Amino acid sequence: MSLSALLPLVFSAFTAPLAACPPGVSSQAGPPATEFVYDGERLASELAALAGEHGELVTRHLVGTSRGGRAIEALRIAAPTVPDACPALLVVANLDGPRVFETGVAVDHARRLATGFAAGDEAVRALLDRAIVWIVPCANPDGAAARFRTPLAMEHGEGHGIDNDRDGRQGEDAPTDVNGDGVITSLRVPDPEGTWKADENEPRLNAEADRNAGERGSWKIWIEGRDVDGDERVAEDPLHDAYVNRNFPSGWQEHTPEGGLFPTDEPEVRALIELVLENPDIALVITYDAFDNLVEKPKSVKDDARAVKRIPPAGVLESDAALIEELGKRYRELTENDAKGDDDDAGTFQRWCYDHRGLVTLNAVLWELPTDPPPADEVQAEDSEAGADPALEEDPAAADGDEAAEEDEDATESDEPEAEAPARRGRGSDAKSSKQKSKKKSKDSDDAKRLAWIDASSEEAWRFRPWESFEHPDLGAVEVGGFAPYARSEPPVSDQAAIAERTFTWFLTQADVPARVELVSCTVEDLGGGVLSIEAALENAGFLPLSSRSGQRTRTTRPARVRLLVPAAATLLAGQAETLIEELDGSGGRQELSWLVHGPSGMEIVVEVDTDHAGLDLARPEAR
Amino acid sequence: MFAHALLLSALLAAFPQGDEGFPGLPAGRAPSVEIPWNRLYDVDELYAHFDRLVAAYPELFSSEVIGYSVESREMRVYTLNDPTTGAAEEKPAMWVDGNVHGNEVQGGEGVLYLAWYLLENHGSNPRVSDLLAGYAFYLLPTVNPDGRASWFADAHNAHSSRTGVLPIDDDRDGRFDEDGPNDLDGDGSIVQMRKHVPGEGRFRLNADDPRILERVPDNDRGLRGDWDYLGSEGIDDDGDGRINEDDRGGYDMNRAWPALWMPNHVQRGAGPYPLYWPETRCIARFLVEHENVAAVQSFHNAGGMILRGPGAEAYGSYPREDLRVYDEIGKDGEKMLPFYRYMIIWKDLYSVFGGFVTWTYEGLGILSFTNEMWTNDRNSPDERLPNGNEGRHWFDDNLLSGAGFVNWVPFDHPLYGPVEIGGFKKDVGRVPPTFLIEEMLHRNAMFCIRHAREMPRVVIEEPEVTDLGGGVKAVDVIVRNERLIPTRSALASDKRIGSPDVFSLTGEGVEVLAGGEREDRFRPEDIELQEHDPARLIREVGISGRRTLRIRWIVRGSGTVTLRYEGEKIRTAERQLEL
Repeated sequence: MSLSALLPLVFSAFTAPLAACPPGVSSQAGPPATEFVYDGERLASELAALAGEHGELVTRHLVGTSRGGRAIEALRIAAPTVPDACPALLVVANLDGPRVFETGVAVDHARRLATGFAAGDEAVRALLDRAIVWIVPCANPDGAAARFRTPLAMEHGEGHGIDNDRDGRQGEDAPTDVNGDGVITSLRVPDPEGTWKADENEPRLNAEADRNAGERGSWKIWIEGRDVDGDERVAEDPLHDAYVNRNFPSGWQEHTPEGGLFPTDEPEVRALIELVLENPDIALVITYDAFDNLVEKPKSVKDDARAVKRIPPAGVLESDAALIEELGKRYRELTENDAKGDDDDAGTFQRWCYDHRGLVTLNAVLWELPTDPPPADEVQAEDSEAGADPALEEDPAAADGDEAAEEDEDATESDEPEAEAPARRGRGSDAKSSKQKSKKKSKDSDDAKRLAWIDASSEEAWRFRPWESFEHPDLGAVEVGGFAPYARSEPPVSDQAAIAERTFTWFLTQADVPARVELVSCTVEDLGGGVLSIEAALENAGFLPLSSRSGQRTRTTRPARVRLLVPAAATLLAGQAETLIEELDGSGGRQELSWLVHGPSGMEIVVEVDTDHAGLDLARPEAR
Repeated sequence: MFAHALLLSALLAAFPQGDEGFPGLPAGRAPSVEIPWNRLYDVDELYAHFDRLVAAYPELFSSEVIGYSVESREMRVYTLNDPTTGAAEEKPAMWVDGNVHGNEVQGGEGVLYLAWYLLENHGSNPRVSDLLAGYAFYLLPTVNPDGRASWFADAHNAHSSRTGVLPIDDDRDGRFDEDGPNDLDGDGSIVQMRKHVPGEGRFRLNADDPRILERVPDNDRGLRGDWDYLGSEGIDDDGDGRINEDDRGGYDMNRAWPALWMPNHVQRGAGPYPLYWPETRCIARFLVEHENVAAVQSFHNAGGMILRGPGAEAYGSYPREDLRVYDEIGKDGEKMLPFYRYMIIWKDLYSVFGGFVTWTYEGLGILSFTNEMWTNDRNSPDERLPNGNEGRHWFDDNLLSGAGFVNWVPFDHPLYGPVEIGGFKKDVGRVPPTFLIEEMLHRNAMFCIRHAREMPRVVIEEPEVTDLGGGVKAVDVIVRNERLIPTRSALASDKRIGSPDVFSLTGEGVEVLAGGEREDRFRPEDIELQEHDPARLIREVGISGRRTLRIRWIVRGSGTVTLRYEGEKIRTAERQLEL
């Protein structure tokens, strides 16, 4: 089949809605289709096209199959001339589910690598001369599929479902599009028991009534849906509960709906884990998803922090955190991105890679709904204090590396629809914003700033559905509206290409990050009587150490093996035929080895170093 | 041999079964299936005995393959159930397994004995018949058939072959399983190496028995030893300067379960992620899919313990109500199993993250025990024989005719030079001697039965109807859990595991106006009404062990109504009533 013939068809399929919806028209139900937004079919054909057009460089791999039966694919991009044992960079996008734009960026990486390599692009060649690249553009295809369905909703997988409302029936009261506008948003339901009211500064937002300040609530807030089971709760028992990216074993939260039945129960999770286990050459993991550790410094703990009741404290070990911080600084300089995303990484791939495999993992959130004031010429100037973000100021616990932040989030009342509030810890910008909004503030909340940003451009109007009166079949007169699904994570059409480009520019610089072993010197001295003294020095030319501090703790990174090869007739008088090197700092970390050998004159001597993930080298000693 | 036994069992089966079953009483009839209980059986032999039981009792006993081991051995679950009283999945069921550690073989025979005892006594012993009328058993003889097979077939000691056989690079040199122990003298045992090092050792020969080395006490009198131990029989196969450092496998399938699972660097042997090995994953899948499992027993060896979780201090403690159940059964177990102690894993033994019975309780909410079968204390019940090296040799010399010990023989070791090789064989120490196997199996099987008969059994007592006038009636019902284990463990209800119980009242022409639990037996108005759908009362906490639940419904109408109490771990109880 000719894939190039297929492509224009596919492209016209997604550009058509754009043409039908000219800029300035705000009637569109969801986020716009763009070239960076791939549904499953288009993604598969794009990956096939890449592998077909660049067969010598790009191979397609089936990593696994999702709970919903969708393929999870990876591209392995390896130049034919790439040396053995060279490091592999693993890029994983959209573990969360709704992060479909991130999939587009990952595919864009692959496309740019393939075409750049074919065209002899210097920067691309430099990367592919030194590293293999694995790209998993969509780790959560079930979650992603929701982006292309009507009604529009955000999903995090089709994972294990539970009986959320404990009525002996599972999944009987899922969110639905009651007003038929094609989007699942929120309901404001007038109710004397309600604890919510309109935000006094921005009546389109909800605020929790503060009884201590004499305020009364008048609404209950629910996810849009019916009360199918007649229990006066709305949309409280969805069919699927487990999130793909809450089902990894590190920090897994037992007996939570989104955690799933047991860690690795979700097939996507096991597939990704197996990919990592099967490829010990993976030296650096990069994720484009809902978590960041490049803009905000990762929570860290001391390298020698004591285990509590035998369990090591959570957090990045400080010597690794220092390296990640430096890499984050470079990321910010190159991309000028400051999106932070979610901060609760319990049970995620990102945390598993670092905690359980010792892999340095760089996590980028490519865009988030800005709280910056919109350009002054479009709306009135914001409050002069708008730059100060009270919610962030109240978050110092998050940087302390203890569990206080999590407890705080659990304890904080959420303005998420009540159906989710009791059991779910939430994920992504919705949960985050609710945490912020729940705090009593005298000035505009972050969501108010986000609304102002949306208001500044009619093209962004889809991100917030104005509250509209609606006669609900179960609840009577209600209002339907609020932030639209994907509003907080999908960048504006006009920014998408630039984000993809700047992210790729940064990505190209990552080839120098992994450790790379080199035998920088290797000498021999004849001590007489057939006794030779051999010395070798091993250096790490990469930025990262041979094994991260976490990797030294987990012992999952195989040490470098340095071997002295001499003829059978020779005898080793001192030193080891094979030495395992566990530690070698980055940026020139050095280790010297020496041997004494007795053997026939003129014998051939070779020193070789071999690794799983940091290259290999070989030297014949020169006379000292 | 089996053909002969099959013929015999066919003949015996032809005879009508009397009132006295075997082995209830020594003068009773012979069992239908004779199994010699003075041996331990390799995987194929073990499965063959199970299959003989299936052949003899096809209506009660069946097998299914739920997965395959690393070496493609079948993972078999045998279901024991009396179908004339209902399908297995309609009854609370007990899961019993053994031998997750390949060398802890007698767990397999423990499961076999339990099946055999129940089958042989069904129909002849009314208590057994009653047990099988109410409950089913899911029996998995060996969690680690590869480790078991290797323990029988290959040279081992009592402690080796604990692991499965998936190759692991223990020494992280890029080569897998390349330096295990070596049977240097080719006698089929991996024993010890000792070396004569005059004046430089830490050990000396026992004055009365030169087979025994004893440690020379630290002293200032110039006493020095002439001997040293050099570890297990083996050489430096991979030439890295270390001996026996990368044995076959190298992991622990009882650290693989997803309750407070911790990776290898915290919990040795845990593997790269929970349920990594196929043996463990297929069992987890089976248990998750069989919500009727209401009791779990796992057989290990050795040391004489009845263990319950938590496996790690970090878990905290178990709910008081469940501890009441654990304690009653565990303490009875101590009386049934001489020399066994009822213990908490982390507190009384050692920390185990990711253990099986901690998962079945903490993850699935099922009361679960591990028995460490066999203790050397049992060799000398009156305690006159000490349990040290001298005592072991005395027992071996006098009760086993010396069969358990490989006497020291000289060997020229490639690294150590002249050494001696000798020690106790693999089937001494962690498994009983032949003549004590049956007692161990019987007592442990009876402990399972003690546990099994406490699985919840719910009955709805005769309802009381009060006419409130105007066509409105009150229906008062008492539902009783006759057994010790709650219909939902306290942990299951605390953590919202599985589905809540449901007690419903349905009937054509009858409208349920209100319903709920009565909180005071004398004041009918003291009732906790369920706000929605009162015809279908939700019981997150189920019914505690040996407790009753008092329900009152207020209804309008008349006719036949059905009361139905349903739960995952009980037989549905149903009662009809005319209003």
